[in-house]
Amino acid sequence: MSAPTTTVLPGLIAPARPRASGPRVLAASFRLTVLMFSADPQWIISSLMAPVVFALAAFEMYRFSSPVLVLFSILGAGMMSMWAQTLYGSGWATGQDREFGTLEPTLGAPVSYVWVVGGRVVWNTISGLIGGAVVLAVVGGAYGAPLPIRDPLTFVALFLLVMAALSTVGLLFSAVFVYSRYAGFVQNIGEFAFYVVTGCMFPVALLPGWTLPVSLAFPPTWALDALRSATFPGYGGLPWGLTGDLLGTVGLSVLYLAVSVGLFRYVTRHLAEKGAAEEW
Amino acid sequence: MLDATFIFVWPTLAGPMDGPAIRVRDVKRTYESRKGFFFQEKVRTEALRGVDLEVARGELFGLLGPNGAGKTTLVKVLSTLLLPTSGSVEVLGIDVAKDPRRVRPRIGLVLGGERGLYNRISARENLRYFSDLYGVPPSQQGRRIDEVLATVGLTEAADRRVEEFSRGMKQKLHLARGILHEPELLFLDEPTIGLDPKSAREMRKLIRSLVAKGVTVLLTSHYMFEAEELCHRVAVLSRGRIVARDTVQGLRRLVGGDRTMEVEGYGFDDAELRALKALPGVSRVVTEEFGPRQRLTLRIRSMDLTTGEVAGLLRAHRGLEVKERRTTLEDVYLDLVEEEAS
Repeated sequence: MSAPTTTVLPGLIAPARPRASGPRVLAASFRLTVLMFSADPQWIISSLMAPVVFALAAFEMYRFSSPVLVLFSILGAGMMSMWAQTLYGSGWATGQDREFGTLEPTLGAPVSYVWVVGGRVVWNTISGLIGGAVVLAVVGGAYGAPLPIRDPLTFVALFLLVMAALSTVGLLFSAVFVYSRYAGFVQNIGEFAFYVVTGCMFPVALLPGWTLPVSLAFPPTWALDALRSATFPGYGGLPWGLTGDLLGTVGLSVLYLAVSVGLFRYVTRHLAEKGAAEEW
Repeated sequence: MLDATFIFVWPTLAGPMDGPAIRVRDVKRTYESRKGFFFQEKVRTEALRGVDLEVARGELFGLLGPNGAGKTTLVKVLSTLLLPTSGSVEVLGIDVAKDPRRVRPRIGLVLGGERGLYNRISARENLRYFSDLYGVPPSQQGRRIDEVLATVGLTEAADRRVEEFSRGMKQKLHLARGILHEPELLFLDEPTIGLDPKSAREMRKLIRSLVAKGVTVLLTSHYMFEAEELCHRVAVLSRGRIVARDTVQGLRRLVGGDRTMEVEGYGFDDAELRALKALPGVSRVVTEEFGPRQRLTLRIRSMDLTTGEVAGLLRAHRGLEVKERRTTLEDVYLDLVEEEAS
């Protein structure tokens, strides 16, 4: 049996071509990121070992304080590393694209670059979650640190929400990496400020009042407050409560996604104007 | 079972099939950069200064020019990676500045070089990733990847990491990626640079076979013999402008003829040069100096002029030998580029 062939009626038009679909590109990018990470085992240090080291150090510092403070410090340390992984990883991969010279052929593909970054963000989020799970297993289980979480299932669900909120920030930051090869410097400086203003290490309520509007501009601030409100015994949190936190997280995350899509469109156009895709 | 399926496609989705594959009108491209540290100064570089070009469908068109002439910039503009500063660019009937997404599935770009590939993964994985990016249906991916790997002769190395590849193998992988989605128009930026003679010959054979299948190819090259061997027409780009475009034969006529005579010696004076230029059939005399030694190159239009007549005019110099050969594309190229520079 011969294979069917497609013939176009002779005339004025070219055959229609299959179009690259966004979700398929996202899956392909995810797969590529996993392959690239597995080919370079350094990621184990940042995603698995560093969180455990930070969490153990925090535990040793606060082990004789109240159990909630211990929980705060351990999770704070773990999250700091996970955030680094998610935030930094997504942008860093774009920086690598510049270095490898693969940014141009990727941008020249008939699909928005936002899908490519999306696949990387998904992997980095999963990698961050693995890091979080390792922290809980090693510090809570093997090391015996007290983890007085009220409702473990809610904790897991809200933890996923925190990571999802963080991913939207990662996506937005990645656009900056597409825009400029110097984005890495800015992110290195901004990373620690980000930990502080989003309440990663301690509640934002402890920060000066004027920083609150800045904190609230980031979806993870809201998501993290929701997580602590629902699962940390005795946690006060922001005045609008769990529902307000959840609405804020979802609303801001959607806004970040929308802005990211628009921003990617702008930066890729800008790059074609500037001609700087191969600079690194 | 039907052997052929007739389909109807909305013209707006695909673009017109008639008209040239590439139409470029007065395209300019300026790069801006900054100089200095505290008090930065804007520096403007004009890479393209009003380029006009048309490439027919199914043609193998060569773009020649020295380093920095603007060849790669033009290829990047045509392949939607760069926007022109002004002018219009249509590829397969579609305006690349207005609608790059419609152009991209139908073109392939091979920039070549050591970069541009994911080195830590295999050739097959690289191709699999880009086949997703370029919309090759999953059901066809495996077959198509095997096909292009076989076409470029990388089947044996398909599952090896790209970081283990030689320069030539990387170049082949670049080409495999460029043709993976079966583009109608292929841009090849110096495809044989860095290849050993055997691989370069295979690459040229492959390019010819693509053109035989109906693919339009725009090729940039430093190698004149390559353009002469492969291209239907060539254009010479110099300092951001096309200084000539024609068939190789046509360009030979443009610079003064099919025949070239060369003579080397010492101390040719102005009177002798004037006398050579005045010979019937001599269209051009180029003088090159190598220390005290000079080389005179004559482009000849007429078939009547003999080497003996030229030698006769230079009889004051003893032991001169006038050699005759066919004007090569390299001669044409050098004449045009030097003319533009002067």
